[in-house]
Amino acid sequence: MSEQQTAMRIQGGSFLLEDAKPEDIFTLEDLSDTQQQIAQTTTEFAENEILPNIPRIESKDFAFTRALLHKAGELGLMSIDVPEQYGGLELDKVTSALVADKIAVCGSFSVAFSAHVGIGTLPLVWYGTEEQKQRYLPKLASGEWVASYALSEASSGSDAMNIRTQAVLSPDGRHYILNGEKMWISNAGMANLFTVFAKIDGEKFSAFLIEAGTPGLSVGAEEHKLGIRGSSTCPLVLSDCKVPVENLLGEAGKGHHIAFNTLNVGRYKLGSAAVGGAKIAFRNGVRYARERKAFGKPISSFGLVQQMIANSATGIFAGESAVYRVVGAIDASLAAMDKSAPNPSLETQKRIEEFAVECSILKVWCSEMLDRLVDDMLQVHGGYGYVEEFPAERSYRDSRINRIFEGTNEINRLIISGWMLKRAMQGRLALMPAIQRVMDEVMSGPVAREEQTGELAAARAMLASGKKLALFCAGVASQRFGTTLADEQEVMAALADILIEVLVLESCILRTEKMQGTRKLPVAMTRYYAAHAFGVMERAAETILSAAAEGDMLRTQMAVFRRLTKHDPENTVALGREIAAAMIDAGRYTMD
Amino acid sequence: MRILTLVRQVPDAEETIRIREGKVDLASSKLVVDTMDEYGIEQALRFREQGLAEEVVAVGVGPTRMQDALRTALAMGADRAIHVQTEVMLDPIALSKVIADLARAEAADLIFSGGQQADWDSHALGAAVAERLNWPQATWTNALELNGSTLKGRHDTDEGSETFELPLPAVVTTQQGLNEPRYPTVPNIMRAKKKEIRAVPLEPSSATPLALVTGSEIQVKARRNKILDGKDAAAAGRQLVELLRNEARVIQ
Repeated sequence: MSEQQTAMRIQGGSFLLEDAKPEDIFTLEDLSDTQQQIAQTTTEFAENEILPNIPRIESKDFAFTRALLHKAGELGLMSIDVPEQYGGLELDKVTSALVADKIAVCGSFSVAFSAHVGIGTLPLVWYGTEEQKQRYLPKLASGEWVASYALSEASSGSDAMNIRTQAVLSPDGRHYILNGEKMWISNAGMANLFTVFAKIDGEKFSAFLIEAGTPGLSVGAEEHKLGIRGSSTCPLVLSDCKVPVENLLGEAGKGHHIAFNTLNVGRYKLGSAAVGGAKIAFRNGVRYARERKAFGKPISSFGLVQQMIANSATGIFAGESAVYRVVGAIDASLAAMDKSAPNPSLETQKRIEEFAVECSILKVWCSEMLDRLVDDMLQVHGGYGYVEEFPAERSYRDSRINRIFEGTNEINRLIISGWMLKRAMQGRLALMPAIQRVMDEVMSGPVAREEQTGELAAARAMLASGKKLALFCAGVASQRFGTTLADEQEVMAALADILIEVLVLESCILRTEKMQGTRKLPVAMTRYYAAHAFGVMERAAETILSAAAEGDMLRTQMAVFRRLTKHDPENTVALGREIAAAMIDAGRYTMD
Repeated sequence: MRILTLVRQVPDAEETIRIREGKVDLASSKLVVDTMDEYGIEQALRFREQGLAEEVVAVGVGPTRMQDALRTALAMGADRAIHVQTEVMLDPIALSKVIADLARAEAADLIFSGGQQADWDSHALGAAVAERLNWPQATWTNALELNGSTLKGRHDTDEGSETFELPLPAVVTTQQGLNEPRYPTVPNIMRAKKKEIRAVPLEPSSATPLALVTGSEIQVKARRNKILDGKDAAAAGRQLVELLRNEARVIQ
């Protein structure tokens, strides 16, 4: 492979402009023996240590949850992203995503775990001084210490740069004195080390490492939350908190790099954790449907229950396909990196940042898939779903936070379309020429539909149309709104919706093609998902076009829209039954 | 001292088993290390950690996929593994010949094998190996302690349990309650990649199964799906006794 091709492969956002081949992408079927074994160890830990103890975790027995986190640390599950010289294993990101996926059988524990290994530990890995890393990382990698990340405040959430917490250098120059209040801090009630963001002299956005017990640092009362009730979420009060100057993390005034780069990792991991949470909720729902009888038959024999099962299974399949494709691409990019570069952490972050759009897509799509799935699985349980005795109720409550933290889905949608447009303006993504090509093509008359063959012909055709639709809509919206497009949030979000579906649908198709038709189930799920995804793309396109034009112009554009979206319908009833039958037979999400 | 610990692969208990062409369809099942064998691996590792054994060798007999099970044993902590390669399904008696030959070649002092062999449920493998080697055996053990070359322990009997004592070399079969097998930790999984799995092709003449499986059938248990709501505890209790006695017929 030439260098130029490699460079193209690692370019974020390129999924819209290029047609990747099955052999270019990573799929779950490509896991190495080692990755499978680590997944298995995580599964055993989840099944044997977490699942039986959910009542204790949910009762906010933090001493117990801490001990369980420590146990996970002893198994090595917290050391995946930590370098070897600090007690870690520094394995690939796919392994790290797999652990997040398999450990996600209980929302509360999953959040405590992720907050520790992700936003709790990564800033230190990337920005810590040698002394800071030596001092803290081994304890965090082993789970002896729990970490917490404190950015949000009562009046600054998505607008993180507006924090009010202040830091002032002490007269003797040995300490920073911090004052302020943080809100919704995960793990606060059991953490030993906090990464706290504050503005030095009210302007330089910076991060500080503060050990629990430092005078002036106090943890407020536990929040009473809708879900993930067994995780600790508290405010943090800093009142003349004296932090040694050597505990400044990274450079003064550059804390925003830490905050934003950590989020990219948080977002793809949230995607994999949502897929994991979906699998356990699905298993509970399918097994209930097999056991529960109504009208003398198991309810799993009814079409409308099967439809919920098929929707849910397909959601898991699509989520897995997209998550591991993106994380595999990140690994490929990191593996090609020159490890002897002067600042490998910075280069690592740059390479991950390249996939910012994909990371946001995973965050949005997987959290919404999980929310639909837990809703359907609760519905399968009927009245039993609404009572605490069955896990469907907890899964339903626990899911909701995923659309809020790690950047709300609204913010992430704006990032997705905004980042693509920004890249295009900078000339780093050949979006404008592609838009021009599609505009010329569609405005010059009927569009010749690309001939597709094989079982996935219809899905392939929908994907090709979806990409054109995205470019067409981006073109129309840019023409209409110009530089103020970013202010049209509804239009930006609708554009993001098309981009999201393009990436996820393409990932399903490529994964299924990579299996070379050896299995019927992935083919059925890909076709089923394509029909759904195309509907989402059509609605989003209508939103954009009708907001961007009116009168004759709108009528012309709708004619183009109809040409682009012309497709043969899939029989989703038959496909849904086929998918559901396989899942009901297995009693869980299965790809066999 | 060297311990051989046998590893067998069975379908995951969580899995739905299917029959294809008169056989259990292993190709579509997720295969795991037989839980009974995990107790043996764990016990061997504990003896080594207590300084009572020098080496723990995991042994598997079967097709290529057996390597997955051996890798699990290595990741748990076994020092090395031997994979005797064969596509032939050996019955416990034929298999015992392979194990006994290997035990002599490796100069083993102790052999662990799962008590039951989840796929055949024959309980015969350990006994057959002991017989071929003319070693003592202890079956169904649930407690073990090693003093020099004397092994003390406890095992289940129909009425309760017995304690026993025997000299090494010996064959010991294991079961639930003996210990709590460890998970392979991530560092150990990484270390296991460097450990040896020696592949030895099985000579066709050295072990020939005489008993052959000619067909399989799966017994499907239909659930009754009866839920007693228990709002009136006494009535629910009476109803339960009534159901257990007259419908399930499990009490008299």
